[in-house]
Amino acid sequence: MGGLNPPTIHCPLPTIFMIIVMEENATEEQIVRVVDRLIKFGFDIHRSTGSRYTLLGAVGSRVADPRELELLEGVNKVVRVSAPYKLAARAFKPEGTKIEIGDVAIGGEQAPVMAGPGVVESREQMETIAGRLAMRGVRVLRGGAFRTSDDPYGFQGLGEEGLKLLREVADRHRMLTHSTIFDAAQLPLFARYVDIIQVSERDMRNYALLKELAKLGKPVMLRRGASSTIEEALMAADYVMRCGNHKVIVCERGIRTFETYTRHTLDLSAIPVIKKLSHLPIVVDPSRAMGRRDKVPPMARAAVAAGADGLLIEVHHEPDHALSDGAQSLTLEQFDKLIDQLRLIASAVERTL
Amino acid sequence: MSEENSGEKTIEDWRVRIDEIDLELVKLFNERTQCAIEIGHIKKRLGLEIYSPSREAQVIANVTAANTGPLDAEAIRRLFERVIDEARRIERIEASKEEGSGQ
Repeated sequence: MGGLNPPTIHCPLPTIFMIIVMEENATEEQIVRVVDRLIKFGFDIHRSTGSRYTLLGAVGSRVADPRELELLEGVNKVVRVSAPYKLAARAFKPEGTKIEIGDVAIGGEQAPVMAGPGVVESREQMETIAGRLAMRGVRVLRGGAFRTSDDPYGFQGLGEEGLKLLREVADRHRMLTHSTIFDAAQLPLFARYVDIIQVSERDMRNYALLKELAKLGKPVMLRRGASSTIEEALMAADYVMRCGNHKVIVCERGIRTFETYTRHTLDLSAIPVIKKLSHLPIVVDPSRAMGRRDKVPPMARAAVAAGADGLLIEVHHEPDHALSDGAQSLTLEQFDKLIDQLRLIASAVERTL
Repeated sequence: MSEENSGEKTIEDWRVRIDEIDLELVKLFNERTQCAIEIGHIKKRLGLEIYSPSREAQVIANVTAANTGPLDAEAIRRLFERVIDEARRIERIEASKEEGSGQ
């Protein structure tokens, strides 16, 4: 991570553990050079000279680039036993992270449904949708204000006006707000209007943005990139946490596979995997992944059953007239039916919505 | 057949002996470690590296040369590699302590 100035946050660094396997014919000089390098990296070495292979166990608290070691002569293989992320790792907080915002908690027994339109269009639209959602117990209102549509000619969002509307309507219904940030220049607006700040999948690796965002201290919802591994998503989470903000929520929103029928393949297996690897809450966005509203409810139900810590669902009172992504928005009636089903499933897996 | 009537030592007897030897080993390991700590301090003062591969090779050569079995040379080597690993580690810790207090 050289190049960027690491912030001066002091956190205990968990132990890094690597195993270096030397070539069968490695010379003593080559072995000594590797040991020397590891010691300079601050590692303690456990050398084991076998009849054929010499193994070097390395234990330390600094991350070393395994490639640098693999490049040394006589090295056969470097196995990194510990994960490259540390703060996001389950071992860092075995009991799990529960993020409490008002009386909404993400990561505990509650698995809140966060819903609303893809983009904020008007006061009337937000009122209609929020009124209905609040009546059904939804406590987090989502709505985009800076829409970076893939279509350059599509609706780009209302900007600050959109965030203001989102806040006003949410406040009236005693809801929290959720919206996506795209640029560090938008930070002051998000500080003012938004409770849960989402980072788009495209920005999961925009480390400059993550660093600035972490400083705000508000809950950050990090969307896993469509082409990112779970490990990469957790490394991005580490980035935010390393800057002092531990309120990170990971969001699974589908990954790219060879299947083209749905927009993306919703990787529900990420739920139990992330739960094992990390202490961070994991929420699922079936709307974005499926891209079609008829496919959203089954995947929403499956996500709750699989143990998701929350859902992100696009809802619109008139999807056919939505300015953006109407096809993936549920109608209010569909949402009503879905939330009843979700409550039943949640209670079966000992959760509440 | 049974162990008791043969007059030979029992498993229990041998284990008692092993326990005695282990206690001696602990004492010797610590005595050896104390020497390493002293060396660490001197190295620090003289600005020498903690890792001294030629000295480590010499230690292995000494102990394998002195070995009369039943452990083979490879086994002696592996055992002493662990001893050396720990000595190196304690020298590092001692050196970093001095760095801390020197500030």
